[in-house]
Amino acid sequence: MRELLRKRILFFGGKGGVGKTTCASAMALAAAREGKRVLLVSTDPAHSTSDIFEKPFDRDEREVYPGLMGIELDANLEARRYVDKAKAEIARMFSHAVAKEAERQIELASTMPGVEEVALFDRMSDLIIDRFDAYDLLIFDTAPTGHTLRLLRMPELVSSWIAALSRRRRALLSLNQDIDRVRLAPEAIDPDEDPILRTLDQRREKLEQVRARLMQHNFTGFVLVVIPERLPIEETARAAEILRDSNVNVCGVVVNRVLPDDLEGGFYQSRWKQEQVYVEEIKRRFAAYPLTWIPQFETDVYGLDNLERVRSGLMR
Amino acid sequence: MRWDELKQNVGDFLHGYFVSEYERKLREQFVDLNDLFMLQCFMELVGLPNPASIYLLDVYPYFLEEFHTWHRRMGMDRSPIGSMPCC
Repeated sequence: MRELLRKRILFFGGKGGVGKTTCASAMALAAAREGKRVLLVSTDPAHSTSDIFEKPFDRDEREVYPGLMGIELDANLEARRYVDKAKAEIARMFSHAVAKEAERQIELASTMPGVEEVALFDRMSDLIIDRFDAYDLLIFDTAPTGHTLRLLRMPELVSSWIAALSRRRRALLSLNQDIDRVRLAPEAIDPDEDPILRTLDQRREKLEQVRARLMQHNFTGFVLVVIPERLPIEETARAAEILRDSNVNVCGVVVNRVLPDDLEGGFYQSRWKQEQVYVEEIKRRFAAYPLTWIPQFETDVYGLDNLERVRSGLMR
Repeated sequence: MRWDELKQNVGDFLHGYFVSEYERKLREQFVDLNDLFMLQCFMELVGLPNPASIYLLDVYPYFLEEFHTWHRRMGMDRSPIGSMPCC
């Protein structure tokens, strides 16, 4: 995992409850220790980064450890803020009457399913684009697998959708210009001056920029966290496959909570034997990725001392 | 009526006749395309998810005017969609 510290953007993902947040936090701690400027972004609705660092996190960056800044993003709040921003922009540009009427449409749109996801993604995009230069490493602690995969595919989906809209809009405008030419009375909007086309194109550019950054294998990577148990292994294997198919660089797998082999007693011995089956399966199924093993600790990972143990495990 | 004048009038008439026919065709095409564009922007209104809907929020107000022109051109005095109440 040490060489991953050279990356610029890292995502930590995996099934719920396998310790994504712990690993992401430990990685952030490791990077900060090496003197890097790190931003740890939690997008998991469960938000446990503040518990681990025992410091309050916020939607704005704040220092949680020397050199380490943290953010916890809340999809609901981001959606709210996005909508408010759009409203404020409208109020600034249009007459009161127009703004008031448009507000109804916006309220309707803001309750659509998927809006929170897009808003969350938009905030992540802002961080990836605007805060990229301010930090040496951005670490995203993501929500459980399915959610994250959709999030990573979002730029592609939305940008092709917007591209279609903008193509159609352009066709409309050029048709309008043809009509003008026939009538010899110009009234059509120049495609270069059209505010709708401009807004759409700006959006698309931003999405493309994010997509390009996410697909840069040399500085962006995805770390999968798994525990030696049936369901997490299955889900993680699927995730790895989908990520690879979407051309995302899976740069490591952390196997968390592995039972130490020096335990005494019949109960532990049989638990350990049982686990070996899964350990072998992990070795076999994730052979293509660098594996890092983190032992099960006798206490929960809570607070910096414990996090330090995970950190040294990751860096070993 | 002088010959020149007559020639001018007939010329204008023919020009107007054919050109307006062409213009009508173009406008028809425009309306069709616009319909499709509007549908893509307002898929929610027909109950289909729109992946870009939140990205279109800041575009909506520009549509008000556009939408108004559109429904007037379609021969509807009032806005046919409640949530786009331009008039």
